[in-house]
Amino acid sequence: MVSSCLSNKRCTYIHENENEPTRGAIDIHHVIINGSRVTGYARLRWLAFFLVGFAILLGKDNPVRTLSWSCLLSGFFVMIQSRKFVKKESVIIMPTFGIQLETQYLSGKTVSRFIPIGKILKPVLVECVTPVTCYWSLSLFLRGEEQLALVFKELRPSLKMLVPIWKALCAVSGTDQREMMTEEEHVVAG
Amino acid sequence: MAEPKLRVLMVSDFFFPNFGGVENHIYYLSQCLLNLGHKVVVMTHAYGNRTGVRYMTGGLKVYYVPWRPFAMQNTFPTVYGTLPIVRTILKRERITVVHGHQAFSTLCHEALMHARTMGYRVVFTDHSLYGFADVGSIHMNKVLQFSLADIDQAICVSHTSKENTVLRSGLAPGKVFMIPNAVDTAMFKPADVRPSSDDVITIVVISRLVYRKGADLLVEVIPEVCRLYPNVRFVVGGDGPKHVRLEEMREKHSLQDRVEMLGAVPHSRVRSVLVTGHIFLNSSLTEAFCIAILEAASCGLLTVLPDDMVVLAEPDPDDMVRAIEKAISILPSINPEEMHNRMTKLYSWQDVAKRTEIVYDRALKCSNRNLLERLSRFLSCGAWAGKVFCMVMIIDYLLWRLLQLLQPDDDIEEAPDINFCN
Repeated sequence: MVSSCLSNKRCTYIHENENEPTRGAIDIHHVIINGSRVTGYARLRWLAFFLVGFAILLGKDNPVRTLSWSCLLSGFFVMIQSRKFVKKESVIIMPTFGIQLETQYLSGKTVSRFIPIGKILKPVLVECVTPVTCYWSLSLFLRGEEQLALVFKELRPSLKMLVPIWKALCAVSGTDQREMMTEEEHVVAG
Repeated sequence: MAEPKLRVLMVSDFFFPNFGGVENHIYYLSQCLLNLGHKVVVMTHAYGNRTGVRYMTGGLKVYYVPWRPFAMQNTFPTVYGTLPIVRTILKRERITVVHGHQAFSTLCHEALMHARTMGYRVVFTDHSLYGFADVGSIHMNKVLQFSLADIDQAICVSHTSKENTVLRSGLAPGKVFMIPNAVDTAMFKPADVRPSSDDVITIVVISRLVYRKGADLLVEVIPEVCRLYPNVRFVVGGDGPKHVRLEEMREKHSLQDRVEMLGAVPHSRVRSVLVTGHIFLNSSLTEAFCIAILEAASCGLLTVLPDDMVVLAEPDPDDMVRAIEKAISILPSINPEEMHNRMTKLYSWQDVAKRTEIVYDRALKCSNRNLLERLSRFLSCGAWAGKVFCMVMIIDYLLWRLLQLLQPDDDIEEAPDINFCN
């Protein structure tokens, strides 16, 4: 059952759990790209047209052969690119057992990673700064690993979407939220 | 937590972990502004592996933006490259005033330009004196002219610095405020037991051993003073290219037992070095505002300050020797505790913060001019330079509008104000 849903221009957050949550019930959080199928395939279609047109322009001597080669190469290129367009990322929390991080692509392929509960030290909300932008990301401190593990590898959901997932991960990993910095109500209410 | 009165973004290439007067100024000013109830965020470039967001004492948020420095800790000037990240930070933190520091900081100039394009109030603080004649100064002054043509208010750290900035940039003097630097008198206190000056008088020198800091003068002054006063010894802290000359002087005059060279002294150890001395000698050729002498006076050393705490000299070896002679003669009448107490009243960062707050309020009251009115200010910068500056601003404006199309302002998520639990 969908217990909460948040949406912005780029993506939609859906929280699924049972009608009457019991101890040990599985908790699922999805972040879905809005209009991903339409946007993704539209981009790929335009990319293919561009490549074909460019190839035709260059191969004026033998247009038939150039057209067939360019269609073949464009199709191959589109097939490679379609694997990179993400449709949905999910966090499946299985208390006392572990969490499963899933990334589903437009092509239908799904990449999963299971992290046992004992390996999670602490989930953290981190501000990532790049040379051109700054965004929030949810990461996990894992035992025995130097690098943080990103919960959402491809997508950048907003902080409002990340906070309930972070709280759920804190609950399942035994992290006391009161130890963490308190957030202003500005975030929760806004 | 109550809503902050002002939300200030301090921008400079120079901030911790790099150490110096500008870095110190930004840190202490930010801490005092936080205590006054304002929100302060600092933006600087990444230092080595230190990149991303860091929180310092009091909840001071620092953005170490991953733009690598290319020369003398300055970010590579791309003119428009920093527009996206500056816009993001200004929106995320809901900034109301942008405060740039140091004329030599490329990140500062770019951030001020972008902030003005986006309609924010900007304040600039100049920390150094510059010349007018050499090639580097001419170019620097032209960049300053461009930057300051469109700012709301400026701050200089001394009256001399204000004259220098006004002459170099062509800025109206009425827009420039003079707010001196201060010293952390809680950190710089005299020794509990003052070293006796009956047998040995110790003169302390702490500065970078470079030409501008008068290291060449020291090479001539030290042997002469040692010859005139057999009971005087020198302690020299700091490092730089002139270190070799000082070592040669020591060997030539056999002063190894009377001149102690400490090398680079971390700022956390400066006080422990100062309290071993009786007199602080500063031989700088130029200083906009010398925090080092405030630190020395706060520790009770005779140095450069109000007439009864100061002995001034021309940048000439003979005059400096004369000044040291006078300092040695008045040394017995100096009370370090009294000097420290006077320093606490004369120079305090809380006072600097309150005066800076007034400058921010004045800047917020300035009217917001549209692009055409702002362009007219740049045209007065020069026959060709004015037109180039106008083109730069027009392109910046167009790029900003393009960014707004690609990523509307509503898409930039505001960062929460984190309340640190002590």
